[in-house]
Amino acid sequence: MLLNRASVGERWRIRPDGPAKVTGSLEYLTDMAREGMLHGLVLRSEYPHARIRSIRTDQAKRLEGVHGVLTYLDVPGLNAFGIARPDQPVLCEDRVRYVGDAVACVAAETPELAARALALIEVDYELLPVVAGPIEALRGDAPQLHPQGNALHRTSFRRGDVEEGFKQCAHIVEETYETPRQMHTYMETEGGLFVPEADGRLTVYSPTQHGFMDRMQLSRILAVPQQSIRVVSSPIGGSFGGKDELNVQPYGALLAMHTGRPVKIHQTRWESVRAGLKRHPMRIAMKTGTDAAGRLIAHRASIVADTGPYSTLGAEVLNFATEHVIGPYRYDHVDVEGVSAFTNNGMSGEFRGFGGNQAIFALEGQMDRLAERLGMDPWAFRKLNLRRPEDPGPFDQPIAATEGAVKVWEAIAECSLWLERGAPAESGQAMLEPWIKTGIGAAFTMHGAGLGVGIPDPAGGRLTLAPDGKIEAAFGYEEFGQGLIATLELMLIEQFGFAADDIRIIIGDTDAVPDSGSTTASRATSMMWKSLRRLKEPFASRLLERAASVLDAETGELRLGEGGIRERAGEALLLTYRELADAEQSPIRCETSFSFPTSPTDRVGAHFMYTYSAVAAKVELNVLTGRVKVLRQFHAVAAGPVMNPQGYLGQIEGGSSMALGFALLEDAVMEEGRYMTRNLDTYLVPTIADQRGAVDVLPIEHLPEGDEHGPRGIGEVGSVTLGPAIAAAIRQASGKWVTRLPVDPASLQETPVFLSEAVNGG
Amino acid sequence: MGLNLRETGSTPKVWHPRTAAEAWAYKRNFGPDGVYVAGGTLLRTQWEAGIVRMPANLIDLSGVGGLSDILIGEDGLLLGSQTTLQACRMHALLQRTFPMATDAVRSIAAPSVRHLATIGGNVASVVGDAVTALLAYDASLIWHTGDGERQEELTDWLLTAFQPGSLNDRLLLSVKLPFPDEQDRADSSAKRVSAYHKVGRREAFTPSLVTAAVHGFLDASGTVESIRLAVGGGQTVPRRLEEAEREMTGQTLDAKLLKHVHARIMELYEPREDVFADSAYRKRTAANVIVAELWRASRTST
Amino acid sequence: MSEGETVKNEYDELRCTINGTDYSIAAPPSERLLMILRDRLGLTGTKRSCDIGRCGACMVLIDGKSVNACLAMAYQCGGKRITTIEGVAAGGIDPIQQAFLEEGGFQCGYCTPGMIVSVAALLGEHPDPTDDEIAEALSGNLCRCTGYGGIWRAVKRAIEARRSAAT
Repeated sequence: MLLNRASVGERWRIRPDGPAKVTGSLEYLTDMAREGMLHGLVLRSEYPHARIRSIRTDQAKRLEGVHGVLTYLDVPGLNAFGIARPDQPVLCEDRVRYVGDAVACVAAETPELAARALALIEVDYELLPVVAGPIEALRGDAPQLHPQGNALHRTSFRRGDVEEGFKQCAHIVEETYETPRQMHTYMETEGGLFVPEADGRLTVYSPTQHGFMDRMQLSRILAVPQQSIRVVSSPIGGSFGGKDELNVQPYGALLAMHTGRPVKIHQTRWESVRAGLKRHPMRIAMKTGTDAAGRLIAHRASIVADTGPYSTLGAEVLNFATEHVIGPYRYDHVDVEGVSAFTNNGMSGEFRGFGGNQAIFALEGQMDRLAERLGMDPWAFRKLNLRRPEDPGPFDQPIAATEGAVKVWEAIAECSLWLERGAPAESGQAMLEPWIKTGIGAAFTMHGAGLGVGIPDPAGGRLTLAPDGKIEAAFGYEEFGQGLIATLELMLIEQFGFAADDIRIIIGDTDAVPDSGSTTASRATSMMWKSLRRLKEPFASRLLERAASVLDAETGELRLGEGGIRERAGEALLLTYRELADAEQSPIRCETSFSFPTSPTDRVGAHFMYTYSAVAAKVELNVLTGRVKVLRQFHAVAAGPVMNPQGYLGQIEGGSSMALGFALLEDAVMEEGRYMTRNLDTYLVPTIADQRGAVDVLPIEHLPEGDEHGPRGIGEVGSVTLGPAIAAAIRQASGKWVTRLPVDPASLQETPVFLSEAVNGG
Repeated sequence: MGLNLRETGSTPKVWHPRTAAEAWAYKRNFGPDGVYVAGGTLLRTQWEAGIVRMPANLIDLSGVGGLSDILIGEDGLLLGSQTTLQACRMHALLQRTFPMATDAVRSIAAPSVRHLATIGGNVASVVGDAVTALLAYDASLIWHTGDGERQEELTDWLLTAFQPGSLNDRLLLSVKLPFPDEQDRADSSAKRVSAYHKVGRREAFTPSLVTAAVHGFLDASGTVESIRLAVGGGQTVPRRLEEAEREMTGQTLDAKLLKHVHARIMELYEPREDVFADSAYRKRTAANVIVAELWRASRTST
Repeated sequence: MSEGETVKNEYDELRCTINGTDYSIAAPPSERLLMILRDRLGLTGTKRSCDIGRCGACMVLIDGKSVNACLAMAYQCGGKRITTIEGVAAGGIDPIQQAFLEEGGFQCGYCTPGMIVSVAALLGEHPDPTDDEIAEALSGNLCRCTGYGGIWRAVKRAIEARRSAAT
């Protein structure tokens, strides 16, 4: 059944954070202000690559109203950050490697004064040659950006003997695919408020996807114990992976500690573009072959990623892409190689889909080309080669088995859009506007969740009966719009029987929550579900035991219900949660911690849990202009039970809009290390006018009997599958293969057919 | 950095002239330190991007009397330069009489920007998307030049508009769209072809890559009685393709002529390229959309 | 110090009505309404995002019409009636806001105040807009989270709610 408001009935709920959002009363962290606060600004590099000869701050410091002008000399601890490997300077000392590199930061009484102070800082640069792309970065004569060279990370995976495999192939397709530097374009740019507290601690109010990681990184930079920093990190005006890494926090923290006053930073859009992360542009070369009957035999993929100047999660993104270029298909021989290269371009890093978007665009392109070569229906071709539930994962690792792959395959095979593909309706429009062409295509994704083998992936949470009688659920996850609070509330209602009013949810504050790991990698819903499952028995029994003793009853006669403890057999409310809390001296509290389940393999980055998705899309192409519109989409998603219907639909719809942008519109164009797209007048994301077509979402909730892992992640997969489906639809419409995203309209233009025909004269 | 440029300049003074002569006098007085401001939307984009420094004096034109209306003149419709784009967009008579102008305005920015931005500002930017449609209607501009009013053909002004100092201190008062000449329409069986196209990089609120307008009449036998072709887009100064127009006039609009027009547009239109689209794409697009409109007209003119 | 002296903040008196209250605000005439609302008046429901009128996060109504507060300068607001998201909700949750709540027409919420202001402007002008009119009216409001699905549904629902309230 399609997911919509009507089909899910009462489970479609108004989000708890909704009223404050629709009335504008919700205070985002960049809305915060304090009496006497200063305004912080960061001086970023003028050049993509240069040596710093000197930095002079005297004039800036002398300006009245300026309270802090800091350089690398003022960083008390580690002058570097990076989630996986701290190699990005907080404040550059002797060299800048991209236009977002920070050289100094200032705090002043007004934003205007801070800007004037920034302008008075004199940096003497000696220009260095720009490494403008990953291919040239890897040439022997390229300037080396880091002591270990320009290769941040290399990956490889082999199965069988791919050369031998190709010899057996009847059909081989070779193609090179390229994908854009997509920008997250969260509507709230980076910023926050940094407050030195009376007790010497520092409170950081600034969005991030993992408060404890920020706290750890900031403690290294400031050289203070982690406990002396409090990170408050929700609500967040969008992130999509882009705010997981530190951004302005080091500068706000340093300036606040230095001046002893609250410091506010809120980046302009251009500062955000210039300094912020983007999706890794990738060039993926593939060679894939089948036997005469269409069975895949050999698959080779070579990935080159532009990771920009510093590590952040570039290696992990490449690991993910390496796994996902193999995908859900069976081949005897596989050979994958990947390299992620340092360049003087913008920073690449974590972004919804995490390398899967690029990999699957390429892989699905191969499947469509091979099917056509074989004269087969592309969906039948996929079925022939699709993994079986019991098959190991792409890296031959054991995975949690589901029937998701075949179920999403079936959903597409049966959907009306796919049936229409085989029998396109004749339209009168073809006569009136012969330049309009339509096509339908489909694509498949097997997308891993969790951080994978080799990376600590903690999870957990805490339930408390608070002194005021509220059931307090504390998790170290963040709300950046995905609906985490709503999902958690609905889980507590459905699993425990609480009413919404009984619940208080606490997230996004390192002083108040346990470390539940990061809110990334499509993991939070799964981990909350699992936490509650682990907490249910102990927490419920402790509540019931206490209630039983207060009521002088047997626990077997009682149950948890709305508003309090109720009689098991009926509705009668016997004891409110408030009364239960009042009767106790100490709060009732249960906590759990565990790790995201991983595959028993030593293959770094291998996943254990997967979401399967398949998408059919219909496009309209105007060959006069080469422009493409997406008319309709159908998404089948197998991710286990739907925890929060509105959130689930929103994740798929929203993710697919990013995929539409990735496929048709978006590219943060760089030339010689400089952004050509500096704001939203040139970097174009989809508007409502680009999103007029229907998006149908079919969740497939089935899981095998005995499955212990519950809901799979859906945060990323929506952003992955539509891109290659659009490319396939364009092929049907135009007869042209798309190898590069975003689609270049020029490549789809045709001279109007009537120019070669006789005109209906007179 | 844009922020530095903008924020480190002193806060500009804003002057509020009530008449065109007063506005002109301010501009004359300030020289390069003063800038006429209509809606200010384009200026703000330039200031924020650091392309242009905020000047010391802003001369606010919104209070200048008589410039914010659309008036019916003797031989044409007068769009006051301070008429907002959204007022143009919603104007019933403009829509009825000059639908390409309405189409062009509708595709500029979004309503909220059009509530500030003006038709005068769009024209004064030289490369505004409305200009292409106005050209196809043979519009002229009425200026205040200090010593009085002067009317100038839009097409003439565009030839020199980007030359240094060409704008001088002149103040654009209104854009005049001539009412269609009855003779222009020939007999009642004439078929009108009239269409404006803007091709950008997304479906709405997009900078243009190509703008193209075609406006004319075919007689009952499919012969081109009169035709105007205008092209622009992006940073390209819009222009009429007068050579192609001449070559078409009096000819039968058949496959041969369509092919010829297509080829001529590709030759005559010289778009500026940028990182988003090269010249070849822009040429093909302009030629394709114009010829498609002509083809459509030729098929229904029987 | 010499730099400091060249800065002349010419403050003018901006008189306008904001959410029904008359204000007289000392501000440079070229200061943007966005900064006045957020920094001087603490009306932070109006969001800052692109600063050049390309995203709609700062949308307000000026005399009932949608305008980007990052484009409008103080002198352009003199004598005007300005409504921010706080004003839309002044009489309790508006039917448009209720529709956004019920249909899930928001996620992170950062574009939402501006989006709702644009919907209010649209429905004020066209109580029963076509899809083309909806798309045109909201084309200046970017939402990166929802893909606009929930927004389409919310606008349709708001139209419906207002229609049934009127009959």
